[in-house]
Amino acid sequence: MNTPYILEMRQVSKTYGSGHTAVKAVDGVDLLIKPEEIVLVMGPSGSGKTTLLSMAGLLLRPTEGKIWLNGQETTPLTERQLPALRLRSVGFVFQAYNLLGALTARENVGLVMHMAGRNGRSARTRAAELLTMLGLEHRLNHLPADLSGGEKQRVALARALANDPPLILADEPTGNLDSKIGREVMELLCCGLGRDQGRAIVIVTHDHRLRDIADRVLWLEDGRLSDDHRGNLESMASHQIGETTR
Amino acid sequence: MLKLAWRNLIHERTRLIISVGGVALAVLLIVVMNGIFAGGEKQATTYIKNQPAPLWVMQAGVENIHMASSILPADAVERVRSVPGVETAVGILYTGGGVEVGDTLVPSYLFGVDPDASFGGPWSLTKGTAAPAANEIVVDQAFAQRYRLALGDTVSVMGHDLVIAGLSKGTFGIAVNLTFVNKEALAQTLGVPSQSASYILVKPVSGTNLQNLADELRTALPQANVMTQTDFIASERDLIRQTGVDVIRAMSTVAYVIGLLVIGLTIYTATLERSREYGVLKAIGAKNPQLVRVVFTQAFAAAGLGYLLGVGLAYGTSVVVSRLFPDILILINPPQLLREVPALAFITALAALLPVGRVARLDPLVAFRA
Repeated sequence: MNTPYILEMRQVSKTYGSGHTAVKAVDGVDLLIKPEEIVLVMGPSGSGKTTLLSMAGLLLRPTEGKIWLNGQETTPLTERQLPALRLRSVGFVFQAYNLLGALTARENVGLVMHMAGRNGRSARTRAAELLTMLGLEHRLNHLPADLSGGEKQRVALARALANDPPLILADEPTGNLDSKIGREVMELLCCGLGRDQGRAIVIVTHDHRLRDIADRVLWLEDGRLSDDHRGNLESMASHQIGETTR
Repeated sequence: MLKLAWRNLIHERTRLIISVGGVALAVLLIVVMNGIFAGGEKQATTYIKNQPAPLWVMQAGVENIHMASSILPADAVERVRSVPGVETAVGILYTGGGVEVGDTLVPSYLFGVDPDASFGGPWSLTKGTAAPAANEIVVDQAFAQRYRLALGDTVSVMGHDLVIAGLSKGTFGIAVNLTFVNKEALAQTLGVPSQSASYILVKPVSGTNLQNLADELRTALPQANVMTQTDFIASERDLIRQTGVDVIRAMSTVAYVIGLLVIGLTIYTATLERSREYGVLKAIGAKNPQLVRVVFTQAFAAAGLGYLLGVGLAYGTSVVVSRLFPDILILINPPQLLREVPALAFITALAALLPVGRVARLDPLVAFRA
């Protein structure tokens, strides 16, 4: 299917449970992401952001609706086929970094390339290049435990970019970082390497300060997605500022 | 992914030590138990092996020395000697019994040997004579050392005081304690004619066909059993195996269960602790078979290291034990070590099943939990 979109979600819903205990976490969402687009999905806790991201990343199947990733419809794919598609088409950045504790920074990045079939030497070289571009040339052989939060997130970013996926999904990428480091990481993600080769980026966050690096800001509440809802965002921003002041 | 398995394994040193140590102890137990048993087998057949007699004649129906009683007719030795092709025939008397050292009765195999015979007695001596007179006995030097005995000391056998006249070597172990007394004196004590023999050790004329000679001997002594030295050794070994195989099997089972539990628990704990990481790998795009391989590799690497360490410890133990306890022979042979590998591999695979199941069922969404 020829499509101008990297990610296309049509009338996607996700319901947990059944009968009178059923909870609709995502309700009839249409989400279209073009190449080079940076989309911020914001919303209160429990609004369905992570569920939406999980479905976009093919980790969770929708109860209703269809998802196309890079032009390929994912609904008919079996559970065995999905990991390979995820590996090549989606890069994940998590709030908790989720690096493998026993592997060095370079090995963490190299592993995903190795999983995708790249040979060891080529994966090591590419991992070192990516980490160097992210300013971690002096940390290549350090274990995650020896890295700062910002460094860990940069390693996670390099890992997400390792297989040159067309789509990056980031879940609260600045959630565990202070504002300065968080800003640096987001600039690397959205303005530097992350945006190369027409890559699209979807970021789920509470952090209103990220609004100005996004092309589009979407608001998710009660499982329903709407375009930039200025009132909600302003309200969220003032709430966060209030929290900081306290 | 193999590197990940290896790194996961060595990242947690304490767990690695417990895992490898547990397997090593299990392997050590199995190898040493089998080694003691193999050593016992070797010791039990040592008398037959060390006599220069390719043919052995004994009472019909008897096929062993261990746990057997044999008595041949008084003229049997002479009849054997008269068979063409026989160069030397030596009759020995044998009975199970005990050597009393003070108040202690030490179980012993008593061999009544003819002082004038060219063989039949101890084949290696450290001191004294190999041919005991009527009131003399030859005991093993390790036996003498254990009971603080020396040449000229007196021990008692079947109510008779005997002076230690010789110290033999290689005749004392956990399975055997060979002592040599005067054949005529033993015959008197047992109440049998002095020419009687329990076994006749036959050395053929050089170039004689053994099977033909054995047939000739069977014809000459229709009431006797004639065995080649090789068959006699094999028969003795089979008997020892039959008596000990259940014990060895039980001990090996216990050891393997210990190994199973150690590997299972440590790999399961390691998998539990890293379950989030496995979930993250799944989220990123790792397939279940890849993760299963990681868990199996960890289990097999731990078991492999434990096996090598256990074998090394077993060899070390055999050296130390042989120095501290000369009667205990731990015989470790490579084919036996290789025979343990499939069993250990099976146990390891079994132990890895539980953590593998856990990894296979992991929800990749765990990656999104902060």
